[in-house]
Amino acid sequence: MDWQGQKVAEQWMQIFLLVSAAVAFVTGYVIGSFQLMVLIYAGGVVLTALIIIPNWPWYNRHPLNWLDSSEADKHPKPQPVVNSGNKKKNNKQK
Amino acid sequence: MAWVRDQIDAVKSIQIRQLLIQAVSLGMIVTSALIIWKALMCFTGSESPVVVVLSGSMEPGFKRGDILFLHMSKDPIRAGEIVVFNVDGREIPIVHRVIKVHERKDTGEVDVLTKGDNNYGDDRLLYAHGQQWLQRHHIMGRAVGFLPYVGWVTIIMTEKPMIKYLLIGALGLLVITSKD
Amino acid sequence: MHSFGYRANALLTLAVTILAIMCAVASFSDTFNSPSPTAEIKVVNIHRFQKLSNGNDEVAMVLNISADLQSLFTWNTKQVFAFVAAEYETHKHVLNQLSLWDTIIQSKEKAKFSVSISNKYRFTDQGSNLRGKEFNLTLHWHVMPKTGKMFADKIVLSGYRLPEQYR
Repeated sequence: MDWQGQKVAEQWMQIFLLVSAAVAFVTGYVIGSFQLMVLIYAGGVVLTALIIIPNWPWYNRHPLNWLDSSEADKHPKPQPVVNSGNKKKNNKQK
Repeated sequence: MAWVRDQIDAVKSIQIRQLLIQAVSLGMIVTSALIIWKALMCFTGSESPVVVVLSGSMEPGFKRGDILFLHMSKDPIRAGEIVVFNVDGREIPIVHRVIKVHERKDTGEVDVLTKGDNNYGDDRLLYAHGQQWLQRHHIMGRAVGFLPYVGWVTIIMTEKPMIKYLLIGALGLLVITSKD
Repeated sequence: MHSFGYRANALLTLAVTILAIMCAVASFSDTFNSPSPTAEIKVVNIHRFQKLSNGNDEVAMVLNISADLQSLFTWNTKQVFAFVAAEYETHKHVLNQLSLWDTIIQSKEKAKFSVSISNKYRFTDQGSNLRGKEFNLTLHWHVMPKTGKMFADKIVLSGYRLPEQYR
């Protein structure tokens, strides 16, 4: 799951749960059945779990473009501490 | 060599700090639970504000594993209320309904008789030998609210201690290994 | 939301929180119900009235109880516990409440009833003060919800009197 996918998944989870809770409560109250409310809500939770928990392909549409390792080598990280060991390494790479 | 020693020291200090943080957060969890419990005790005035129903003697109203919220106020006890009481010589409190009340004029003391809704007879058989009535000091609180099923967790834990230790172990591992 | 376990945990936490809120709101919705139950109780017959060997008065009577408690039922009601209690004052006690009969009503259809019964629990005084005693018969009800707050109320019917003589 990529970054975008994680954000979407969290938002969907909140929306789906709240909507199923609202639907369950209103139906239960109108029909006058507490049991129905619990059943509808339980259904909503299971459905949400199926949508949210597995790593579905639609959560992976924004892959991170990592730099190529050969590309990364051309731009070495800045070295805050310069000591003898590092100097040797830099010399070798040149 | 100085550099190596520095590195080792750094690693050591990190681990100690991490360990301390874990210990503190564990302590926070425990103390916040304690704070909630004590606050509930203050608000409800009952020494145990939440009890789990352990028997079926109040069925179909309360089933085994339901949770009751207690309240202990200065109000006099009246027939029909569901009270939690301790009998001398018994450790486990009982949740039953009051069916008879005699309140004395001079001292204000009450004699109370209880019965489980699902039991055939009254509770005199459950009381201490020769005890006919409950007094005020036997009563820990009256039930005001109700939540189904939640108490099963504690029933399972007290009856199957293995599960309790497994759970505590797993939680402990989770706390120690997790890195926030 | 990066891992399977983390997502499952987040979902479970939110789901349980919302369920708790739903239960609280359901319990709160009971307060909008303003019930109007009715009750009528007749003492049909007092077939025993005596002093027991320990000095306490005891009465056995037949009651005719008709009541309509249907308006107490809401969608969050599991059961209604109804009972009839005799209530009186003596020179020693401010209040004596003796439950005489009770019933558990689990559905709205059964909440309207009319029964003739003799007292289920003993009508015994602490002492012998019952001759000529005036007493109330009170129909109490105790509503047990599926979740949340329990509530109770009563209808007091007064003007009953026990006979002057044992029989």
